[in-house]
Amino acid sequence: MGISIYDTPLPERQLSEYLQLLETCGLRDEGDADIIALMTEDDRLVACGALAGHTVKQLAVAPDAEGQGAMAAVLSALISEAYARGVHRLFLCTKPENLRMFGSMGFHIVIETKDAVLLENRKGGLDSFLESIPKYDGVCGAVVCNCDPFTLGHRHLIEYAVSHCDDLYVFAVSEKGSMFSPQERLEMIRKGTEDIANCHVFESDLYLISRATFPAYFIRDESRADLVKSDLDIELFCRRIAPALNISRRFAGEEPFSPVTRAYNERMKELLPANGISFEEIPRLAEISAGRVRSLIESGNIEKIREMVPESTYEVIQRRS
Amino acid sequence: MEIKKTAVAGTLESSDCMVTVEPAKKGIELELESAVIRQYGRQIRKVALATLKRLGVRNARVSIVDKGALDCTIKARVECAVMRAAEHEGRINWGGMIK
Repeated sequence: MGISIYDTPLPERQLSEYLQLLETCGLRDEGDADIIALMTEDDRLVACGALAGHTVKQLAVAPDAEGQGAMAAVLSALISEAYARGVHRLFLCTKPENLRMFGSMGFHIVIETKDAVLLENRKGGLDSFLESIPKYDGVCGAVVCNCDPFTLGHRHLIEYAVSHCDDLYVFAVSEKGSMFSPQERLEMIRKGTEDIANCHVFESDLYLISRATFPAYFIRDESRADLVKSDLDIELFCRRIAPALNISRRFAGEEPFSPVTRAYNERMKELLPANGISFEEIPRLAEISAGRVRSLIESGNIEKIREMVPESTYEVIQRRS
Repeated sequence: MEIKKTAVAGTLESSDCMVTVEPAKKGIELELESAVIRQYGRQIRKVALATLKRLGVRNARVSIVDKGALDCTIKARVECAVMRAAEHEGRINWGGMIK
């Protein structure tokens, strides 16, 4: 038995065997893996697993190879490879019945829902993240945003939100964006809101809208938006983050373009109030979207974006080009 | 030996253990998970701490996920993780610190 690690895309022969194994195990490839581990025995694929960002996924063992430690071997190979590549924090999403198995492999529970459980390889990781964030006494609100890049549209949403609570937490998505790094986005949000009192900007540390909590957001398969699963992300916010930070309101921008984000907002409308958190969708500022700004940057139309972004964002964009 | 980065050694396979070593500010923090923690927890800790001491590691966060490893395995995995975390691979003093 041997395990090989491949960078995606897989070579053709391996790819068809891999897809076949996933199908046998009731899974499907989501196309976002960075590396894939394949375990073969006598030239036959018996187990596989993948790593997408910080998330271990696509773990599958052929039914006739179960019970021989193949899962442990594949997971070990993925963990070692992740560390070798400097990825130390790992998440894993699985069905609740697998909790015990992964629990004995150094993974700890972050949140459990009816049909899924999110685990991470750090004990009390979410607790220490929440401890690191200051708490406020009044009515607290939250905005979670990608801000790739931070525009006047985001600023408009934050200004509205801050005027509808005493203190506002702004959580910046900490996954790699399609254009700007998490550090650049955090800097843009901080600088673009530094004149707003009671607005507190933090990294979401992969606990909100990450490839672990909400993979569909990053896969962007718009044709399957009806299948978007965001409950894990929303429940994690409602049951772990909001209570710890005393958050009772959440705000989001209306989403006319992306079916995935729209489905996420729709789901928040249902789940947040059921958990005692109000949810408000704010109409967009006409003509402004981060996506439009990105395409203008790509086409070299830097001057045109001046009216869509704060000066601080403009500086970051200029620095890049 | 100074721990410079996070590193891992070992596997989650039966009779092995996976050891993670991370930089820390003060002292040794050792976290152990094992199905046989009640029978062998104390012994595993003893072996791991003795190995760290022999390697001169004073500050580190060490986590061991044990799958029924023997003492010699635990020792070897701790040594390997420390060498990687201290960026000490390639200049290992065989027969000295590692014996």
